[in-house]
Amino acid sequence: MRYPDIDRYAEIDSPIHRIEPRTKVISFGILIVSAVFAGTVQAALFFFLVAAALLLASRLPVRFILARVKVIGVFVIPILILMPFTVPGTPVFSVGPLVASAEGISFAVLVTIRSVAAVLLVVTMLGTQRFDTTIKALALLRVPDIIIQMLLFTYRYIYVMIDEFLRIWSSMRAKGYAFRFSRHGLSMIGNLIGMLLIKSYERAERVYQAMIAKGYTGKPVSFSSFRVTVMDGIFCAFVLVLAVTVPLVSLELL
Amino acid sequence: MNRAVEITNLNHQYSDGTVSLKDVSLAIREGEMVAIIGQNGAGKTTLFLHLNGSIRSFDDNVLVFGQNIGTMPIEKRICTVGVVFQDPDDQLFMPTVYDDVAFGPTNMGLGQEEIHRRVTEALSTVGLEGFEDRVPHHMSYGQKKRAALAAVLSMEPRIMVFDEPTANLDPKSRAVFIRLINDLNTEKGITTIVAMHDVNAVPEVADRVVILNKTIVADGTPSEVFSDVRLLEENNLDVPEICKVFSILNCYGCTCEEQPLTLPGAARMLNGLIETNGGTVTLGRTDATDAYVADLVRRFGLSRE
Repeated sequence: MRYPDIDRYAEIDSPIHRIEPRTKVISFGILIVSAVFAGTVQAALFFFLVAAALLLASRLPVRFILARVKVIGVFVIPILILMPFTVPGTPVFSVGPLVASAEGISFAVLVTIRSVAAVLLVVTMLGTQRFDTTIKALALLRVPDIIIQMLLFTYRYIYVMIDEFLRIWSSMRAKGYAFRFSRHGLSMIGNLIGMLLIKSYERAERVYQAMIAKGYTGKPVSFSSFRVTVMDGIFCAFVLVLAVTVPLVSLELL
Repeated sequence: MNRAVEITNLNHQYSDGTVSLKDVSLAIREGEMVAIIGQNGAGKTTLFLHLNGSIRSFDDNVLVFGQNIGTMPIEKRICTVGVVFQDPDDQLFMPTVYDDVAFGPTNMGLGQEEIHRRVTEALSTVGLEGFEDRVPHHMSYGQKKRAALAAVLSMEPRIMVFDEPTANLDPKSRAVFIRLINDLNTEKGITTIVAMHDVNAVPEVADRVVILNKTIVADGTPSEVFSDVRLLEENNLDVPEICKVFSILNCYGCTCEEQPLTLPGAARMLNGLIETNGGTVTLGRTDATDAYVADLVRRFGLSRE
């Protein structure tokens, strides 16, 4: 079974892969926040270029990236279509009764660039280290235990759920089920989801028994040997400088 | 002899009133290899959950090494009784194999070095060296099953309980797992308690067999229990294949005092017969042979009548 792993290329080597996990989480976090709050198209474009440069340096396969980035199209395309016609301002062109404004267009472009930059950064961060490493880095960065445990269990059991879903799905197919958008088709999907919920509830009980049998007392337990190097410090400092100067410079340009 | 487990008149019922265990009394000595067999829903898993204190009996009648398991502190409990559950996906809940095998020892409050030693040793015992950083969803079922065993071994329990250890395993993995259980008992002196349906494997992992059907129906050596075909029939259990073959041979005049249960046992048995018979084993038929064979085939459930 080939799973859609986000960390499939975590084992290849690149300058981005070599960044210490905690430094990576912090630096990319700063970059993502900066990209999302970029006030002008120029600033957003700058962070988009930084994201693209980091992605190139990470040597992650382009197809792998595209497959993950295209998902945000679902959110971005409606904005790109609706914004120009709904934001009032200087008219630029019109389609029938609808009038597109210059402000609307630049706002739509800004939102699109911001979100693509942010998603590129997220994919680069998650794609260049194993997901369990990311969770451990978060744990060491004092993210609350409850969130760490939720992430750990989600990561561990999402694959078990995928397998369980596929088992039910293939047995439905084996009995001649084909999805149709009808009352029957939908109620079968409802049954499938219900089955998954019951199975996961029962599994949760068994997992809990197993956790008790291994002495679980509520604390997450994990091991990691991360070491921060000079290069990590330089990278983080560089990111901080960008995060502070770019908004200042772009405001002055206005 | 040291009493490893002592259960007296244990009762259990589910919240809906279904009785799962009724008046179960069982004593197991330290170092014994016990198999508990019984049909689905016979209460095996419930009994096991009592053994490690996951379900607590309020009558305080489950004693492990003379102490009440229900009131034992959790760190002590996990290094006394370890349970290997049936589905390894339930048991391996940490993202990497190392984290999972280290989970128990960490909860016992051991130091980093000792934890590392135990993880390395447990993984090498089950033959999974080099799997430390692997994630369970990229491992085969047999490997996951062995990793789950390692995660229990690392707590170094004195008693190990296996729930259906051979279920869903391919023949190679099944043989490996049976070998492992044997080694744990004979080399490390761990008391092993195994629940299974796989009656062919039972004589290989047990020198004592207990039939459970909500209460204890039979308790004895494998040959005692498996020679009582009626008892097995009544509890919807199978007879090991080797027993069946020797029962058929018996109809052809090849009588043996004690039915062999394992392949080496069968060879020993035949050697003994050949020696006492002056170099040969003779098979022959009488008028009654066909009727005996037909009766056996019917009893072993092979015919559809």
